[in-house]
Amino acid sequence: MKNIWTIFKKEWDRVIHDRRLVISVMLLPGLMIFLIYSFMGGAIESFTTEDAVNVAILNNTTGFEAIYEVAENPEIIQIQPITDTETASYRELVDQEEWHLVIEFSPDFDLYSGGVNKPSVTLYYNPNDPDSSSIFARFQGYLITYQNSLAYELYGDTRYFILETTFTPVDPNQMMGLIFSSLLPMLTIMFLFSGAMSIGPESIAGEKERGTIATLLVTPVKRSHIAIGKVLSLSVLSLMSSLSSFIGIIVSLPKMLAYENLDVSIYGVGDYLMLLLVLFSTVFVIVGIISILSAYAKNLKEAGTLITLIYLVVIIVSITSFFSQGAQNNSLLYLIPIYNSVQTMTAILSFDPAVVTYLLITFASNLLYTIIFIFILNQMFESERIMFAK
Amino acid sequence: MKMEAAIRVMDISKTFNLSRKQQKIEQTKSKIKVAVDGLSFDAYPNEIYGLLGPNGAGKTTTLRCISTLIKPDKGDIMVQGKSVMRDSDGVRQAIGFLTSDMKLEEFFTPNYLFDYFSKLHGVIDSVASKRKQALFQKFGIDRFQEVKVGELSSGMRQKTQLVISLVHDPDVIIFDEPTNGLDVLTAKVVTDYLIELKNAGKTIIVSTHIFSLVEKICDRVGIILNGKLKATGCLEELIEKGDTLEEYFFRLAREEAGDNQ
Repeated sequence: MKNIWTIFKKEWDRVIHDRRLVISVMLLPGLMIFLIYSFMGGAIESFTTEDAVNVAILNNTTGFEAIYEVAENPEIIQIQPITDTETASYRELVDQEEWHLVIEFSPDFDLYSGGVNKPSVTLYYNPNDPDSSSIFARFQGYLITYQNSLAYELYGDTRYFILETTFTPVDPNQMMGLIFSSLLPMLTIMFLFSGAMSIGPESIAGEKERGTIATLLVTPVKRSHIAIGKVLSLSVLSLMSSLSSFIGIIVSLPKMLAYENLDVSIYGVGDYLMLLLVLFSTVFVIVGIISILSAYAKNLKEAGTLITLIYLVVIIVSITSFFSQGAQNNSLLYLIPIYNSVQTMTAILSFDPAVVTYLLITFASNLLYTIIFIFILNQMFESERIMFAK
Repeated sequence: MKMEAAIRVMDISKTFNLSRKQQKIEQTKSKIKVAVDGLSFDAYPNEIYGLLGPNGAGKTTTLRCISTLIKPDKGDIMVQGKSVMRDSDGVRQAIGFLTSDMKLEEFFTPNYLFDYFSKLHGVIDSVASKRKQALFQKFGIDRFQEVKVGELSSGMRQKTQLVISLVHDPDVIIFDEPTNGLDVLTAKVVTDYLIELKNAGKTIIVSTHIFSLVEKICDRVGIILNGKLKATGCLEELIEKGDTLEEYFFRLAREEAGDNQ
């Protein structure tokens, strides 16, 4: 019993008396969870914050109006009463993704009293436009509710009207693009980080732990050159690792989704070049973060703990592509490291028209972050407290 | 006329922060430990200067300051006219530094590491190749040059470390505890080589706590106690007739202890 206590106490002291270990094992996880949940809360809020809803309605009825007015936010919904002659032009706007939905009630809709010729309601939306699809789904629901409410006034056949749906012809490339864009960015960033994570700590924290960094620091090589050399080689290695993962994903995705028609040939050389640019700039940011944490850590174990916590954040950020429909259109969001890469890849893969702007902002900001990270790393190599911490 | 000093240590001081645990061990309430306190000495070409002192006296800290791994809080050190504070890259070009804290990556071979460090020091390939051959042969590394450092015996590993610290044929060589952990045969090879380097005109500083090593290889000695240089000069100048270095050292140590009480 005494021995158990002695061993217990030694293991306890090993952790509790190591301030850095207490911070990384006891405090950081709680802090990270707080940050992640706050971030997720913010992200969910941004998903639920709706953009304008544009619905054009022909022969609208007061009964239907009463239903959607309860559910929809009056500040963002724009109902446009239209005439018979305008329906064609509004359908065109839907095709061009400039309008969300057209609802056409047949004439004299309210006057139906149970005859053979039922009135009809036709919905027109664009399945290629995620916003149009989601608004269509909501209004379809309101119409079914409306149909049920009218049924009370009828005997026999309780369907007051016939609900018809028509839509813009589906562009198969755009649909496949949406599928790719929801999966590929998430998987690529996760593989990119885990690739860098498996080789990064060895290069700096490992050298510190084994005492080989001092041998390097006593040579006349500039600290900034050591920092750049390490970041460059780690980046190329991580990029190779992630390219292998990327090719693996692309080849296996159709099988994984059991969707044989999913074909990566929908993307052109330009799209692949843009993806490579994103990958290239992202790998520097990731390696920069991992290098700084490795340089700060006293040994490989501490580096591993710190980097795993960052990996959790990266996973959460990557998952945003899975939940969002297409890329974010707020350019400022493309200044956030990692998140910008996920969103730009989503924009490339979903054929977003503003992709070049997003790519430029992402590339430029990632380049800036890389320069900042190398500067910090250089300062860390200069610091005897960090380099020779025991 | 006296030759110009290759190393001038000028009134350097270095302090470290103490953790609470270290404060307890040192039995002090001060949060700062003075490792080196106003230290000054010179070392000249064609000589081996020995820093003699017990563990914790400040020898390694002084050598690390000279080799630019750490910066003194006060004072300066000139190595061949270059300041460690203002031109640390220039100082590193002139020195070869070896301490047991500095290790080699175990994954690589002596051959690979010699080339790697030669390149970092800017040595031309042809010169590096000749130098490698000569040094590897001299220390018997040639037979093991393609064996990974991790698989070498500890003696061979230390000889490889020594050779690698000299890839650029530096004029100033700083050696922290040169014979620590070496077997008698390797220790003899190393000390003989240090004398050879001295005769070739190099400036050498070694730190040690071994009296016999100082008596055997050092031309001048600095005795360091509690971070302060208590005496410096030729052995003949310091020690009275009939006395030994050991007796002289302990007399100084007793005086220092008396001063501190």
